[in-house]
Amino acid sequence: MIDKFREKFVEESLDNINDLEEALFLLEKDMHNREIIERIFRAMHSLKGGGAMFGFNHLSEFTHHLETVFDLVRNDKLAVTNDIISLTFEAIDQIKHLLQIGDLTEKADIANQAAFIKRIQAVSNQEESSASTTVVGESSGSQVAVSDGSKTFLIGIKPNEDILRNGTNPFYLLDDLHAMGEAKVAAFAKGIPDLGQFQPISNFCYWQVVLNTSESVNDIKDVFIFVEDECEIDIKELKVGNIIKSEALDELVNNSVADQTLITKEQIEAIGGSDDNDQDDEKRDAKRKVQLKEHKISSIRVNSNKIDDLVNLVSELVTIQAQLNLYAEKDGNGDIVSLAENIQKLSRQLRDNAFEISLIPLQSELMRFQRLVRDLSKELNKEIEFVIEGGDIELDKNIIEHLTDPLLHIIRNSVDHGIELPEERIKNGKSPKGTIIFKAFYSGASVIVQVIDDGKGIDPDFIRAKAISKGLLDENVELSRKEIFDLVFLSGFSTKEVVSDVSGRGVGMDVVKKKIGEIRGEVSLDSKVGQGTTLTLELPMTLSIIDGLLVKVANNQYVIPIANIEKIHAIDDVNFGNTLNNVVSIGDQQFPYIDVRDVFECDTANSGGEQLILVKFEDRKVGLLVDQVIGEYQTVVKPLGRFLKKQENISGATIMGDGSIALVIDTNRMIHSNAAKKYRTKK
Amino acid sequence: MAKTVLIVDDSESIREVVNFTLQNEGYDVLVGVDGEDALKFLDGRTIDIVITDLHMPNLDGLGLIRKIREMDAYKHIPILFLTTESQASKKMEAKQAGATGWIIKPFVPAKLLSAISRVLR
Repeated sequence: MIDKFREKFVEESLDNINDLEEALFLLEKDMHNREIIERIFRAMHSLKGGGAMFGFNHLSEFTHHLETVFDLVRNDKLAVTNDIISLTFEAIDQIKHLLQIGDLTEKADIANQAAFIKRIQAVSNQEESSASTTVVGESSGSQVAVSDGSKTFLIGIKPNEDILRNGTNPFYLLDDLHAMGEAKVAAFAKGIPDLGQFQPISNFCYWQVVLNTSESVNDIKDVFIFVEDECEIDIKELKVGNIIKSEALDELVNNSVADQTLITKEQIEAIGGSDDNDQDDEKRDAKRKVQLKEHKISSIRVNSNKIDDLVNLVSELVTIQAQLNLYAEKDGNGDIVSLAENIQKLSRQLRDNAFEISLIPLQSELMRFQRLVRDLSKELNKEIEFVIEGGDIELDKNIIEHLTDPLLHIIRNSVDHGIELPEERIKNGKSPKGTIIFKAFYSGASVIVQVIDDGKGIDPDFIRAKAISKGLLDENVELSRKEIFDLVFLSGFSTKEVVSDVSGRGVGMDVVKKKIGEIRGEVSLDSKVGQGTTLTLELPMTLSIIDGLLVKVANNQYVIPIANIEKIHAIDDVNFGNTLNNVVSIGDQQFPYIDVRDVFECDTANSGGEQLILVKFEDRKVGLLVDQVIGEYQTVVKPLGRFLKKQENISGATIMGDGSIALVIDTNRMIHSNAAKKYRTKK
Repeated sequence: MAKTVLIVDDSESIREVVNFTLQNEGYDVLVGVDGEDALKFLDGRTIDIVITDLHMPNLDGLGLIRKIREMDAYKHIPILFLTTESQASKKMEAKQAGATGWIIKPFVPAKLLSAISRVLR
């Protein structure tokens, strides 16, 4: 049964870890903030408790040691240092790993974890002893050689006959003792009467437990707090070493069970291993009232599949509703028309709502970026400040999912290639600390995400030369500054001579471009030598619903996203004077254009009149020649399926009110694939 | 009549396990995400037992227990708290605050039910 909840636990823990990382970043800036320390402690505590609950035993063990460190910290026995923070960051990675794979099985992994735990223990031990030297002072010398600090107890438990009637199960007391350390239990059941007189609701047994634990006698007493009145409890501390694993003890326990005679204190102490550390228990009073102000939970967690389903259903509804409108218009019955209108209103609201639900703030991913910058800059000995602006901007979760990898790559590039080493920066008259700004903002129906660094920048001439040497560009072609920077996104282009370990992981900017293209986004780069580089992503807010312009090309209907459209011109305004170069002039301006009928290889002869649609393409406008503009159309885009993934012109399909299908034109990619040929050399 | 249990834990997965286990056994279950959140259920309705975590934001388990013990209507209801074995020192503190008993994490459903039935006698 527990298995069902494992997944939930993992999900929740990942959130927990996110919170933990955030808190650690805060702690790094403010090492004495109790609230933050308490938050970290609690996160670890939850991981430990939950880990044990849901069968992540290694995770539980591992976080236990971390928790110990932060328990010391919050009780002022240990001061936060950079080392502790770094160690904890490292530990978080291990926790993530453990959450992914569950318990470790590889021997090497287990050994690694054990080594890691040693390091963590070193932190808590070292501080514990140094703390106690300051407190205890004179006795510090003798405490250096403390062994494992465990003690052995002989515990007798003799419950009353009616303990079971109260619902107490004495076995759980034994469980609790087992949880404190290692225990051997002897059960004495000779009191159980013959079957005839046996009463299942009465208890006739008693137990003796030999317990080896590092807890104090008070902690053992605590186990019995709530059964004091129902049991006779006898706890004796034994003067022996750790003999819990010895065969002699096994024998003693077995014999006493066989003979049903109680084990005595002396019998065990005779086994030996007399221990000389007899120090008093440290009283750890952790009485603290911490008032914590954390945001109230104002949201619920929903499986993302459910949201996908909802959005899908709503899109179906919107489609059907369009059909209903069409029918109502044809039918002309006033009742039906008004019904259809009401349903239209509702379905629009529903659509907007569903759309909003599937948006999540960028914030959720930013922690990873921050972490990346921190770790990488340490590794590369660079000083970098990572500034986040607009983390609360919301995007479709599918877009964010597609965004993470490209952004990680971009940021990695900025850290690795963009920002210079501190010495170099000083030499160039900059502050030794570099800055990377992560900026997100709305622009119309799109979201712009920028990664801006103040590093060394990229020289356009260098890019050009590089592209020519790689055979990506003919040296006679003149390019604008923007076109030159676009060369970086061509496949086969990599500006770094030697592929470095950090950013050269076989992914180039072409992959970034492709990934961003998959979510109908655009990526561009701008740079000034010596001043830095800016990478700009322009992203749609959602993938599933767009405002489109319905057009006719030959006998087919297509949808052009309105966000891309600048202007629509009747063909009479347009002067086709220079058609050879595919350039038209409107008034005194000239625009390149693409005849969509050519792209789709339609017969251009029987067009019912033409219209030219000017669409935005990068920083220019490009005309698309179509047969007829039908009108505005809000539409739900459905993916095309994997067989049609390879084509360049279409980003999806939509079902029209009458059940026919219109394809959605991806203007950027269409123009790119048709225009790019002009400056790319043929291989 | 079904007994009503109020569960208070800031961990969703723990809440769900406890909730699932108890509902299966026919208990009515109320769920609070922290001490402060749990207080809203203590509005005069009948609650037969409270099961609370100790480490929680806003109002922690001990604080909640103390608050409940101050309320005339709930002064005497049983309160169990969830704890891990490493927090043994907390037990005494919790008892002094007015807890009736505890359940050690990790627990199996049977142990949880036994602990509840014990105090709900």
